[in-house]
Amino acid sequence: MPKVKIDGVEIEVPAGITVLQACELAGVEIPRFCYHERLSIAGNCRMCLVEVKPGPPKPQASCALPVADKQEIFTKTPVVQKARNGVMEFLLINHPLDCPICDQGGECDLQDQAMAYGFDRSRYHENKRAVPDKELGPLVKTSMNRCIHCTRCIRFATEVAGVEELGATGRGESMEVTTYVEHALSTELAGNLVDLCPVGALTSKPYAFEARSWELTKTESIDVLDGLGSNIRIDTRGAQVMRVLPRLNDDVNEEWISDKTRHAIDGLRHQRLDRPYVRKAGKLIEATWDEAFGAITTKLKGMDGAKIAAIAGDQCDAESMVALKDLMTALGSPNIDCRQDGAKLDGPRGSYIFNAGVHGIDSADAILLIGSNPRTESPVLNARIRKRYLHGRCAIASIGPVADLTYPVERLGAGPATLRELTDGKLGFFEKLKAAKNPLIIVGMGAVAREDGAAVLAMARELAEKLNAVREDWNGFAVLHTTAARVGGLDLGLVPGEGGRDVAGILAGCEKGEIGAVYLLAADEIDTKRLGKAFVIYQGHHGDAGAHRADVILPGAAYTEKPGTYVNTEGRVQLGRRAGYPPGDAREDWAILRALSERLGKTLSYDTLAQVRSRLVSVNKVFAAIDQQVPGAWGPFGKAGTTTDAAFVSAVANFYMTCPISRASRTMADCMASRAHLMAAE
Amino acid sequence: MYADLIQFFTTNWLGQAIVILAQCLAVTVPLLVAVAYMTYVDRKVWASIQLRRGPNVVGPFGLLQPFADGLKLVLKETIVPSSANGILFIVAPMITFMTALVAWAVVPFDDGWVIADINVGILYLFAISSLGVYGIIIAGWASNSKYAFLGALRSAAQMVSYEVSIGFVLVTVMLCVGSLNLSDVVLAQSGWFWSWFWLPLLPMFVIFFVSALAETNRTPFDLPMSEAELVAGFHTEYSAMTFGLFFLGEYANMILLSAMGAVLFLGGWMSPVPYAPFTLVPGVVWFALKIAFLLFVFSWTKGTLPRYRYDQLMRLGWKVFLPVSLGWLVLTAAVLQFGGWVPKP
Amino acid sequence: MASLDRTARAFLLSELVAGFALTLKYMFKPKVTVNYPYEKGPLSPRFRGEHALRRYPNGEERCIACKLCEAICPAQAITIEAEPRDDGSRRTTRYDIDMTKCIYCGFCQEACPVDAIVEGPNFEFSTESREELMYNKDKLLANGDRWESLISANLQSDAAYR
Repeated sequence: MPKVKIDGVEIEVPAGITVLQACELAGVEIPRFCYHERLSIAGNCRMCLVEVKPGPPKPQASCALPVADKQEIFTKTPVVQKARNGVMEFLLINHPLDCPICDQGGECDLQDQAMAYGFDRSRYHENKRAVPDKELGPLVKTSMNRCIHCTRCIRFATEVAGVEELGATGRGESMEVTTYVEHALSTELAGNLVDLCPVGALTSKPYAFEARSWELTKTESIDVLDGLGSNIRIDTRGAQVMRVLPRLNDDVNEEWISDKTRHAIDGLRHQRLDRPYVRKAGKLIEATWDEAFGAITTKLKGMDGAKIAAIAGDQCDAESMVALKDLMTALGSPNIDCRQDGAKLDGPRGSYIFNAGVHGIDSADAILLIGSNPRTESPVLNARIRKRYLHGRCAIASIGPVADLTYPVERLGAGPATLRELTDGKLGFFEKLKAAKNPLIIVGMGAVAREDGAAVLAMARELAEKLNAVREDWNGFAVLHTTAARVGGLDLGLVPGEGGRDVAGILAGCEKGEIGAVYLLAADEIDTKRLGKAFVIYQGHHGDAGAHRADVILPGAAYTEKPGTYVNTEGRVQLGRRAGYPPGDAREDWAILRALSERLGKTLSYDTLAQVRSRLVSVNKVFAAIDQQVPGAWGPFGKAGTTTDAAFVSAVANFYMTCPISRASRTMADCMASRAHLMAAE
Repeated sequence: MYADLIQFFTTNWLGQAIVILAQCLAVTVPLLVAVAYMTYVDRKVWASIQLRRGPNVVGPFGLLQPFADGLKLVLKETIVPSSANGILFIVAPMITFMTALVAWAVVPFDDGWVIADINVGILYLFAISSLGVYGIIIAGWASNSKYAFLGALRSAAQMVSYEVSIGFVLVTVMLCVGSLNLSDVVLAQSGWFWSWFWLPLLPMFVIFFVSALAETNRTPFDLPMSEAELVAGFHTEYSAMTFGLFFLGEYANMILLSAMGAVLFLGGWMSPVPYAPFTLVPGVVWFALKIAFLLFVFSWTKGTLPRYRYDQLMRLGWKVFLPVSLGWLVLTAAVLQFGGWVPKP
Repeated sequence: MASLDRTARAFLLSELVAGFALTLKYMFKPKVTVNYPYEKGPLSPRFRGEHALRRYPNGEERCIACKLCEAICPAQAITIEAEPRDDGSRRTTRYDIDMTKCIYCGFCQEACPVDAIVEGPNFEFSTESREELMYNKDKLLANGDRWESLISANLQSDAAYR
């Protein structure tokens, strides 16, 4: 390990890092614009100049200079200061003085560093450069006059997002960042460009001019719009969620989030359920909580438990799910399910989580995707796989839908038959998997959410065991969930009990009149037409499919409005925090169930959030390990059987609209239209 | 015809009642107008002393200001505190106001211009002005508020204290006149203005005036309403017209005491120079001018002097004014007796 | 002798007489107060009175919704909401000042990069109800239109010292 002296302080640093990184380890901050930890090094902004001995007698760009033993680095000398002042003055020559109308104002790297290195007036009296703005789609607003050519956006699009659509034309002052032909970026990670841009050249279009960074209340929370459980920061002003930003978590989402996570939040303002409703004479009439509970009590009192059923939705927090489960148990109903898509997952924990962990992708050396399109199901995870691909020596193959995943994938086939062949070692890719030290088998919902899902799952398990992918030090069996509530629901046992019905069974029962009442806990992805004549209680936050069919609506809280526990696809328990309060009369979901239980005479045993959380732990110990990935038990699961020839299809056909929130979002609708336009153009 | 009318107004009971009523109105209405303008003059004088302008917006030179204020007081809501004694609370300002008015029955505005030319005019005045304190005591008590109560106590103690010296002043004047009839008092002062009682009885005049300030709770003796300690004294809880009645009564009292001063020391309706053209001016005008002068001194005093401390007020009343007035009374009596100037009845 | 002198003075009320003479003298001195509603005292060009939102000479409102005034306001009297206008420019949809909160410190006009929000020379804006003191954007713009000539003259005369 090389020893270097930074501003007179000697420090030992890992070999191979840059001088800038070494300075950071030593706690010395180096100003920078183009350098970014997760992107390749460009070295073009020159803001990170330092003096280095031994070396040429001039300041050097620390971001592009590797550390060497016995180096002496000076970051605060007059030469360095003067050099940085000069760079800042050059940068500001063409930067417009429009901070007051710039959305980056208040959180702008250039603004901040101009405070430290800027000069209070300009010596440049010629006209400033004028650059036409570019169209980058419905999410990214451009103001290219402000661009300082750091090329972070170009590098992000090329390296992380994997869409080589951004680039620079011209040299020097005529350099322009552009898409060559004007079109929206075809990536699901476009929002991250806004975070990366150190100035206000790329800003968020839906958030344009809406708020200032200093007005916002920041709440650290968890995203529920896909199964990854990205760590997010919710910025609210008053009661309104203004924007969502990623939070750094190297194990989950690094520092990226998908466009849906970031921009579906305007759906939280539309189509909300803010008061209870009761259906009278075929019409939903506004009601009080008392009337709503009264209507439910009248219907459920004396009803046989076997005639009651409950379905938990895809974005439920664990607290509300455990309350639902406890209430159904108290009512004597075994008919409960959290798998709206009918995924055949109910085995030991190892059978339904992403055992390898998202960070495990980095150490995988052969990846097989079964019935999954990670680009639509979890774009950030897909970026992780792309990162692994860029690192080299990783074979990737897919059985399932054809899709551009932003990295080359060897497509083995479409359906279960191909998987059978692979498991039997008849395909060439089997050898690659066999040779791999850490083979990773990613099973998507498209493979298990079908009639023969159990058989497919059994095959996948067989393959994993054959490949020795499940070992003490590595578990390469990974289920990629598309919904935030699923793993939590399975952990809490929201699956049919003894003699109970699953979602398909419940719907069939409704049609036949065998089920008298159905409790939908924010469940909107089922075919509500099949609910027949059953009495439907819908508890949720949006007026979506479930609410339209409901006989009683109980307004609940969306994920930004309640403290909730979520388990992501890798089985990591994470806590979401409350960023605001639900609208109108709406309440936290577990509290609604608790109140209803009292009216039904089956009072649940918890009154506070802390008590609900301890109930969670008593149901499943994984809920005690917050932010940790608890390894899942491995055992026999799936059910060998015949499979159909039907091809695997991705569980997420339309990335932009997967849940009530994103369906209510205008931004997501715009994104969809833009993507459709792009597809049509191709 | 005229004889009939004269007979009607002099012998018929109804005619007499009409005459009395007309006399009352003839005194009361100008008095109330005077009260209204006294508030205006007060404010103007204080403003001038403080180099301000005073009321100048309502009407020309602000002349309609008193009516605007009066209208405001009439239109506002009368609040009776829930813990107050309702009847007494309402009655108190009426007592104050009425006692301030009834005293005017014996004041001679000119030779023969007096409603009741009784022989004990001075005693009547003295008695009525002592009754005024009841209104204040009742107001303070009925309000059921500590500020009002303390204010009333102070006011009562103060009025009682200074009435003693006023009494001696009156006795001194009575000695010099030899009659209790106010018209006789005026007539006893006929001649040049230096023959009025103010000069021979100058110390008594000063004592009278200072005591009059104390009687009417005016600066520097406005301790009952000292706002720094007692909010507004006995009328703290009063609002609208109940407060208005106190206000009117207070000013009417001031005018009454000025009138007393004019009658006792400034020669009543007499002109200062006993020759034409001065004697051609009606006596009532001279009388009004003398009252106006004394009222101006009231305002002037308020604009000049700070407020007394309560113990100082008591000391002045009992330890200075009482012995001085008593001494001067004895001295006057002695001078009259041994100088042979005892007035013949 | 001194005590005699003092006693004589006390009895002759010489201090009182001196005092009364002084106040009498003052009564006839010229008044120092201005005759307020009819004549007014001079105002500094920096006078901080009622707020106004100004426009450019072509009628375009100056405010660009940068929210610096909202941020600097120590009384938090200003509330701004913004969104892109149809032509894409940054404009406020709501610009409220709670005049009952405002402390007239003038930080808002100091912070304003476009001289849009100013505290004008008007100080006579008392109202009969509290609600009328919750100024909205229309009211502020109307103020700007009404006082523009005075405001711009004041700004110009003070420009050299800014």
